[in-house]
Amino acid sequence: MPMNYINNASLLKRQLVVRFARLMFAGELKNEIDLLPLHQAPRNSEAVRCCLHHDRAVIRYRLIALLGFAIENEKPDDEARTLASYVEEAEARGAARMAGSALTVIDEACSACIRANYRVTNACRGCVARPCMMNCPKNCISFEHGQAHINEKACISCGICAKVCPYHSIVFQPIPCEQACPVNAIVQDKNGKQDILADKCINCGKCLQACPFGAIMERSEIYEILRAITNPAEATVALIAPSIVGQFNTSLGKLVTALRKLGFDHVVEVAWGADLAAQKETAELIERLEHGQTCMTSSCCPAYVEAVKKHITNIKPLVSGTLSPMQYAGEWAGQQWPGARRVFVGPCIAKRAEAKASPHIENTLTYEELGSIFIAASVDVAECEENRADLEATSVGRKFAVSGGVSTAIKNAASAAGHNVTDKVIDGLDSKSLAILKAIDKIVKTDTFVEVMSCEGGCINGPGVISNPAVARRFLEKMLQEHP
Amino acid sequence: MAKKFKITICSGTTCYVLGGAHLMMLAESLPADLKDQVEIIDSNCIKACQCDNAQPPFVQINDYLMSQASVAKVVEYLRKHRGEA
Repeated sequence: MPMNYINNASLLKRQLVVRFARLMFAGELKNEIDLLPLHQAPRNSEAVRCCLHHDRAVIRYRLIALLGFAIENEKPDDEARTLASYVEEAEARGAARMAGSALTVIDEACSACIRANYRVTNACRGCVARPCMMNCPKNCISFEHGQAHINEKACISCGICAKVCPYHSIVFQPIPCEQACPVNAIVQDKNGKQDILADKCINCGKCLQACPFGAIMERSEIYEILRAITNPAEATVALIAPSIVGQFNTSLGKLVTALRKLGFDHVVEVAWGADLAAQKETAELIERLEHGQTCMTSSCCPAYVEAVKKHITNIKPLVSGTLSPMQYAGEWAGQQWPGARRVFVGPCIAKRAEAKASPHIENTLTYEELGSIFIAASVDVAECEENRADLEATSVGRKFAVSGGVSTAIKNAASAAGHNVTDKVIDGLDSKSLAILKAIDKIVKTDTFVEVMSCEGGCINGPGVISNPAVARRFLEKMLQEHP
Repeated sequence: MAKKFKITICSGTTCYVLGGAHLMMLAESLPADLKDQVEIIDSNCIKACQCDNAQPPFVQINDYLMSQASVAKVVEYLRKHRGEA
């Protein structure tokens, strides 16, 4: 199970969402949003970056992203714009402002990591043999003050110098966002700052998790969501993803009450949609295998589906056509409460893009954002009463939260229908697993169901989670024992 | 024999969201030499967040209230105070 280490950049973001949501609840966002950078980085406090002014500039951009805007669209004069004017624009333009990628880069926060991946450390002894210099194919190593020095402009990051150094004094230093991206969709511009290429990006959120400067933000929808749940005239539905179990160190029943306290009128378990998706996907699999297809892959992970569309188009015919659990649950909620705003609550950023293209979901919210909203509303989840969701699921759908859950469900359902199916799990997308997927029908045995999860370990390790995946898994297992 | 340290981890929503989630790994992360001296209690909100300028997450170790707690800070504290009665 992968670790999800504590990370100051994400804690600062959560604190900012708390402040933002408090102003929304008080009806004072437009009046006071321009004070938030000052409140978050007050005078005489210790700066995280070079100075408080830089910290505040970055906070200002975070707020613009929290309002749903893409930082890339900023024009030079916009630097002088008030945040209040962005609130007005959000109000006037509504969801239209959300067009484009779900992720945005804050140039001001990006540290423009050094392009060359190899660096000489102080362990260099300036030896006589100098194998680094002698073997460098680009002749870019020189000696200054008795130590090797790499010319970053000429270095091609081949790694030979690190391999040949007898003192292991040359280290590999990745550009974290680029290393995390499975599809090479994030690249440096001429100033060394990162750009996300919309035609390649699959919105998996790995760059956002990887950047130590918190320079990559999701374009949030909390403005619309908070406006809707604080408006008694607007009906709202929270569609909670299976991985929500264990996110707040408490039971699902208490969480249902907490969501209603926030102002959601209805709560639906997306795991119900997963129950349904498992049935439909099994029927689809059996039909396809009977028609001679070797294997079929899952379709519930939107980052994977996007990766197929943009990068491994040859396997498109192998991907299940079954809708995702979110969409089935949203469709049901739409029939049950016509006109209600349906908000998917989950760990996922790629779901934002999927929801935008779907008629069944209006908005998406991450667990991190939900947690901050609970704090702003003074709702303590553990102290809420147990309650039941408007629509509940079985343990089959609830297991979709961890990798292996989908394939187990399909394998069991197929076996119950008299079909023997082999299952294979692709646990986490990276360049290696994408290469495997590209040739998946030649690799697996006949009659195989392939489950693909972009996040290693499954949705409980998504970019928007609060709990350590190991803790979330414990909660899920406990719940499955109590409600088999 | 009574345990030397009683550690109460606050899992109120404020603490849990603002860093406390990682404290749930405390039991697994304790070094072997400290393990048998510690009793860990996972508690509802201990109300430490309600004062001004509170810095969650909070952990109560015997009489000491630790703010901005982390696994590393707790382990360091235990190491320092294990010799005391």
